[in-house]
Amino acid sequence: MDVRSRNHVRVTGRTGAPVVMLAHGFGCDQNMWRLVVPELERHFTVVLFDHVGAGNSDLTAWSRERYSTLDGYTDDLLELCRELALGPITFVGHSVSAMMGVLAAAREPEAFAGLVLLAPSPCFIDEPDAGYRGGFSAEDIDELLESLDANYLGWSGAMAPVVMGNPQRPELGEELTSSFCRTDPEIARVFARVTFLSDNRADLARVAVPALVAQCSSDAIAPPEVGAFVHARIPGSQLVTLNATGHCPQLAAPEETAAAIAAFAGAIQ
Amino acid sequence: MTKRLSLHTRTTPAGPVIELVGELDHHTAPEIRAALPALSLNPGQQLVLDLGTLTFCDSTGITVLIAARNHALAAEASIVLAAVPDRVSRIFRIVGLEQVFLIYLTAQDAEAAWRPTAG
Amino acid sequence: MSKTNDEEHGGAREDEGPVDDRAQFSALLEDSAEDLYEHAPCGYLSTQLDGRIAKVNTTLLDWLGYQPEDLVGRKYFSELLTVGGRLYHETHFAPMLRMHGEISGIALELKATDGSRLPVLVTSTVKKGGGGQPLLIRTTIFDARDRRAYETELLRARQAADRERDRLQALTTTLQKTLLPPTLANVPGLDVCAHYHVASVDEVGGDFYDLFPLAAGTWGMFLGDVCGKGVAAAAVTSLARYTLRAAAVYHPDPVAVLGNLNTVLNHEYNGADPRFCTVVFGLLTPDRVHGGFQITLASGGHPPALLMRADGTADILPTPGGQLIGVLPDAHISTTTVHLAPGDTLLLHTDGLTEAHTNAAIGGGERYGDDAFLDFGRALAPTTATGTISAVRGLLDTFGTGVDDDTAVLAIHVPRPHSDEQQ
Repeated sequence: MDVRSRNHVRVTGRTGAPVVMLAHGFGCDQNMWRLVVPELERHFTVVLFDHVGAGNSDLTAWSRERYSTLDGYTDDLLELCRELALGPITFVGHSVSAMMGVLAAAREPEAFAGLVLLAPSPCFIDEPDAGYRGGFSAEDIDELLESLDANYLGWSGAMAPVVMGNPQRPELGEELTSSFCRTDPEIARVFARVTFLSDNRADLARVAVPALVAQCSSDAIAPPEVGAFVHARIPGSQLVTLNATGHCPQLAAPEETAAAIAAFAGAIQ
Repeated sequence: MTKRLSLHTRTTPAGPVIELVGELDHHTAPEIRAALPALSLNPGQQLVLDLGTLTFCDSTGITVLIAARNHALAAEASIVLAAVPDRVSRIFRIVGLEQVFLIYLTAQDAEAAWRPTAG
Repeated sequence: MSKTNDEEHGGAREDEGPVDDRAQFSALLEDSAEDLYEHAPCGYLSTQLDGRIAKVNTTLLDWLGYQPEDLVGRKYFSELLTVGGRLYHETHFAPMLRMHGEISGIALELKATDGSRLPVLVTSTVKKGGGGQPLLIRTTIFDARDRRAYETELLRARQAADRERDRLQALTTTLQKTLLPPTLANVPGLDVCAHYHVASVDEVGGDFYDLFPLAAGTWGMFLGDVCGKGVAAAAVTSLARYTLRAAAVYHPDPVAVLGNLNTVLNHEYNGADPRFCTVVFGLLTPDRVHGGFQITLASGGHPPALLMRADGTADILPTPGGQLIGVLPDAHISTTTVHLAPGDTLLLHTDGLTEAHTNAAIGGGERYGDDAFLDFGRALAPTTATGTISAVRGLLDTFGTGVDDDTAVLAIHVPRPHSDEQQ
């Protein structure tokens, strides 16, 4: 199995510079990072990839067994690190990928110089007895799965939104393919379960590498108190609250996001 | 799938001449085969399949020629091939069909060679 | 209708309905953009780039039961959505909109103040300033209650169709497996390997092969190709395979075996939908004197086998004059015999390999061809059965989608004595 093509890996930026690996979250692909990449490329070797099942990854590599838990994705991540052999990296994980970084760093700390957890949530579902508020109930997650289904017709096949090679928007670049944010409904459903039903609160304490928790000032998916929880549980971690709102600061406020990543990665490497 | 085969039919006193243009394979064969029963042939006539512009023919394409042969024999007519391209005659050699069909250099040769069979 | 009638009709109206007409006309003239915005038959919503609601029309307020001051400057668009919709919005809708500047026809549900839910179709565009910088997001919202019921049906049908397709593919795969031996017989002193390349998961193909023991230390093998695909072809394949095996047990002379098959197919299939196959049948006899195997091959119109010698040469093994099986009442079968010595490899193939498009990915029409196939053998020799099949698989991989017909390959190889193999 060629790991590079399996995950559609792209390596850009400065050769020999400290390495920053960017991992996209649920729903989209590595194009999520395109607004922060130009800034990061100036200082770092930047590694981009698509999770198996997303974007231009090798869909034949996807299996329900392997990707029904975060462990499958974590294995992929560590395989990528070994394959690229770029030395300890700064791993930037958005949303669910932040927890993949946590799991990977707990398992093989020597592979990581540090972790940037962007809009992370270790557990989306509330657990009132434990005083934990993730922001959602189990029913809410079922509703998301319904939403995915409701857009199944529109998101698959020829009825796809007007995203394909729009000649009026050359700035989108060639790499931005029709696959952006469009996933096979079956894969999306399984990934949604992994994303929103995983509980990695107990794993946070196992992180022994420098970590930056970067959360948005208002985020419907990962509210500020969740970011504070992550910060409190990861020993020695830093917390920064971005002015950006929403769940995707790398799109909403790319400069601010890139600056936070660069400052952290530059300081630890 | 773009259509890669077309069929031109003309009628001569000797019988119909069908010109197959393009590729005869498992994509295109069923359509041609389906068109055969409608082809009118009288006893003693000669069906000419002009293959001069056939660019490809695989084993499935061969079924068309055989179905045409069956159709002609059932109508007590004969069948000949004209202008068989090298590529196709090579396949004919492999499947042993060159002994089964009478072959002429051109459709005109085939027409000229035809003689009405006595009543 | 005549001209007079038209005029009469027009005249009558002038008397009866001038007031209505005039009221309608002036209403049309007076319809302001503002009124159209507020009471349009769809919801309008403008938000800041972060989703904070800046402007909302009366239609949407009425649908949801809000006052303008409840929303403007206070709420985000995503807060109007159900929780599931909000997650969808954050993970798909918003990133797509950011990236492309527009997104259309997305099915979401809005929450009304009375707790009810309104299925809608949402389209958003980003309004940009003169310098191309994004300024705000404009959103149109259509009531999709009727459509949603229809879509639910459509979705159910689509999912049912998907399940059917999966079932069909499973069935096709199973059927395909029944046409091939689960494992090839283990022939003492022979290295054997085969591969079946499925061109389409939806349609069962017509290639087949087998290798099996016959009486008195001899072995039979065959490889063939039934014309066509699908269930009808599979029926012929099945018939061919079992006829060949039965005939070989009855009378293992290769010409007689193929003659038997010819008779069976010729009786069974005739007329407008002829079914035939091309096939090679081989009888393998161990050569006790010289080592290796004596092989008698009979061909019924099948592409010739490729013989790769221990000395590194390779050539095709012609079987001229053999006719395809099932078409003619008395098909001619031709035979050839060959001695397969230690180190030699014999490869049988179907034409799916040689007729593959070599550059399908770029839309090219080039086919691989017999000459290239012979060159392939020459480059490969000397080799083994496993080596041959793995090289063929590699070759098929390079063709990708260019292999548009099923392909079967069967290789047999006489291993060199162990001491030689070491060198």
